[in-house]
Amino acid sequence: MSGALTQDLARICGAEHVRDGETYRIGGRIPETAVRPGSEEEVSRVLALACASGAAVVPWGSGVQQTLVAPPIRYDIALDFRRLDRLIAYEPGDMTATVQAGMRLDVLQHRLAVQGQFFPLDPPHAERATVGGVVASQQSGPLRCQYGSARDLVLGVRVAHADGTITNAGSRVVKNATAYDLTKLYVGSFGTLSVFLAVTLRLHPRPAAERGFLVSGGRLDALHGFALQLLGSHLAPSRMELLDVGAARGFPGDGPQLVVSFAGVAEAVTDQEGTLRRLARESGVTVAEIEDADAFARVRDFPGLSNGRAACWRGGVLPSDGAKALEAIRAAMATAVSVEGAATVSHGTLRGTCRAENPEALVQALVEARRVLEGLGGYLIASDVPAVTQGRVNVWGTPPTEYELLRNLKQAFDPKGILNPGRLLNL
Amino acid sequence: MRPETRSRLLTACQAIVGPDAVISSPDELRVYECDALTTEHRAMPDLVVLPTSTAQVAALVRLSAAEGVPIVPRGAGTGLSGGAIPVDGGVLIVLTRMTRVLDVDLANRTATVEAGCINLAITRAAARRGFFYAPDPASQQASTIGGNVAENAGGPHCLKYGATTNHVLALTVVLPDGTVTRFGDRIADRPGYDLRGVFIGSEGTLGICTEVTVRLLPEPEAVRTLLVAFRSMEAASRAVSAIIAKGIVPVALEMIDQETTRALEAYANAGYPTDAEAVLLVELTGLRAEVAAEGPIVEAICREHDCLLLKAAEDEAERMLLWKGRKSAAGAFGRMTRNYYHQDAVVPRTKLAAVLTEIAEIGRQFGVRVPNVFHAGDGNIHPLLCFDARLPGEYERAMAAGDEIMRCCIRAGGTVSGEHGIGIEKREYLRLMYSEQDLAAMRRVQRVLDPAGLCNPRKIFPEEAVA
Repeated sequence: MSGALTQDLARICGAEHVRDGETYRIGGRIPETAVRPGSEEEVSRVLALACASGAAVVPWGSGVQQTLVAPPIRYDIALDFRRLDRLIAYEPGDMTATVQAGMRLDVLQHRLAVQGQFFPLDPPHAERATVGGVVASQQSGPLRCQYGSARDLVLGVRVAHADGTITNAGSRVVKNATAYDLTKLYVGSFGTLSVFLAVTLRLHPRPAAERGFLVSGGRLDALHGFALQLLGSHLAPSRMELLDVGAARGFPGDGPQLVVSFAGVAEAVTDQEGTLRRLARESGVTVAEIEDADAFARVRDFPGLSNGRAACWRGGVLPSDGAKALEAIRAAMATAVSVEGAATVSHGTLRGTCRAENPEALVQALVEARRVLEGLGGYLIASDVPAVTQGRVNVWGTPPTEYELLRNLKQAFDPKGILNPGRLLNL
Repeated sequence: MRPETRSRLLTACQAIVGPDAVISSPDELRVYECDALTTEHRAMPDLVVLPTSTAQVAALVRLSAAEGVPIVPRGAGTGLSGGAIPVDGGVLIVLTRMTRVLDVDLANRTATVEAGCINLAITRAAARRGFFYAPDPASQQASTIGGNVAENAGGPHCLKYGATTNHVLALTVVLPDGTVTRFGDRIADRPGYDLRGVFIGSEGTLGICTEVTVRLLPEPEAVRTLLVAFRSMEAASRAVSAIIAKGIVPVALEMIDQETTRALEAYANAGYPTDAEAVLLVELTGLRAEVAAEGPIVEAICREHDCLLLKAAEDEAERMLLWKGRKSAAGAFGRMTRNYYHQDAVVPRTKLAAVLTEIAEIGRQFGVRVPNVFHAGDGNIHPLLCFDARLPGEYERAMAAGDEIMRCCIRAGGTVSGEHGIGIEKREYLRLMYSEQDLAAMRRVQRVLDPAGLCNPRKIFPEEAVA
């Protein structure tokens, strides 16, 4: 580590906070160096330096979201946020908290739990994920059914821009109609426009009771139809995940499963269980309470990371097409050895894996699955694929119609293209 | 605008929308020189056009862009921050003839409507089948969904459900160059930047939205509405905090002060007690068992805070009556004062009692009456600055008091608008909240979408900060 870049970074953050890039590998790419700034000021100076020298910067929290997008086309500095991990402000009476981007989500949840509150985002690998990473990637989990996504739950942000300028957007209160809500622009932009320094979150009271159920005994489309019926009723499920046969493996019972949970005051949870069981009887499906304490986390984390063996895909269709899409994907992936899929019923978001005997078969399976999802008006993202297939399958599929606007925004916010270049839609 | 430009525009607009959909006579144009902002801002448009389709809007925008004249979108004109006032003249594009409900899809719980569709009409289109559209601005019987999108409108029921941005999935937008595009989608998490989220609340400065796809919610199984009277605003504020601290999120927590209550009773006869300093309207919705469990807790909290009266609506008719009072507030203002300026700001809920005390003090200092009826649950206050424009100095005093109130809310960690937007009313106040760099980031977005700067110009941003 003797490069000029490394030395400059050491001057800003201290030599002990500049390290080798090896552990920040993304899709075979290793950065020249990694730096752990200890203050907003240091982040700003690192970016200003990168901007001046044209060095490409990848913001890094825990690393768990890095496979959700394409590898960077250039990668010089890993900007590690884990020293920026403070809870800046927390007023339980306002049900808001302002936290630094590098704070781990589980650490935050522990602090909030003391006051009977929580931040209702449960993305995959929530134990390790940082708040900044989750918000940058617009990741959600099964609880989205009840609480919405980061775009609903982030009230304000503090970001550093490509040239090091620090700005605020949104506010620290729960309601705001003041000028452009750039919070929305940054959330889900995968650090391609700016990097998060701190975020203000809308919190919720922890439900007094929560119980989960496995609904099974029907075909995938029958379970899905049952789930849609629940969503259109007065019931208020907190989770509603449809697992195909492959994804349901490991849960008791055969065939596909529907995971349903209810949360809230105990009387209401019991009441909803009664309604669920009655509706299930009428629909000819069976209901079993989930006893396994780990089950929610397993559903949340499905399908995990490919770790180079399988391909992990994500996609989306209209909620009403959830089961149809999972079945169509399975049929389309004829060249695959195994296919597993799950859907968040309320939002029509899909996720799964596929394995194949050789890279050609894997690529073909993904291409065919994308064809059927795009045929349904949806999309398929193939970012987490084995190294041998990388570059042989398009990560994003057909570009959005407003792509030119996105490119112009990227150009306006990051004219030198140093922030996570090439990761989101080739921006 | 030069007369020859105007006459060329008039002919071209008539060719696009037909002669009956263009207004050009000064008498008729005067109707459009203001919206519901009650300060002294006025400006005449050069032409008013009432298109009936996205294609017509796109053609009008292309035409205006080619002539280099400003365009200003307008819905029902109920906006409270002057967003629809054509400060630089130009073509006012009024969307009130685009009112169709295009699609109600209950399997996906969405409705797609044209931008001129009235807020309440969306719920009407879905109510028969047990669904509703959640955001309920006080203007919901008149305001259009396009206007709601422009302002990120809220309403009493935001406390539980969130504002417009949390309920709009997709928009059809005519960009300032006349291109038609879609922001957002009924399909979730499509990769890209959330331009839908940026457009909502952009007050007509980034384009004209012509179609809106919203999320519908199933009507709750049960509802319980309580009217509670308190000795003081402070006691009512503390009760509000205590309810929230219990982990209960009512769908609405509305506070009305005594001066407003008295005017409301004379006007709407909703049965509000006039001898209490503060009246709180609490509504719980959800599952029957949930409401049954939470109702008594809320009532106990109100008693602990020495409420003078606690009345639950026994049936839907009583509930509607209780809400009629709250929703008639704007109508009662006219009985309270000759002229008024209706403000909007948000403070952290925990600072509410202190801020209300400070506002009362500001009112005394400036000699301005400041009644207040507001969304206590989310700290969204609406001070009503009363004045008589005929008396010299009163208007200026009311504006000065309003200015001080804005500063007080910002000092408490709040924002200068919760649901009315910035428009022309609050441009200068943005500087209290945002730095030059914060505003520069927003203007960067504006320049990408409206490089010519002709789309609702001189709105939102402080005067000298306009690019």
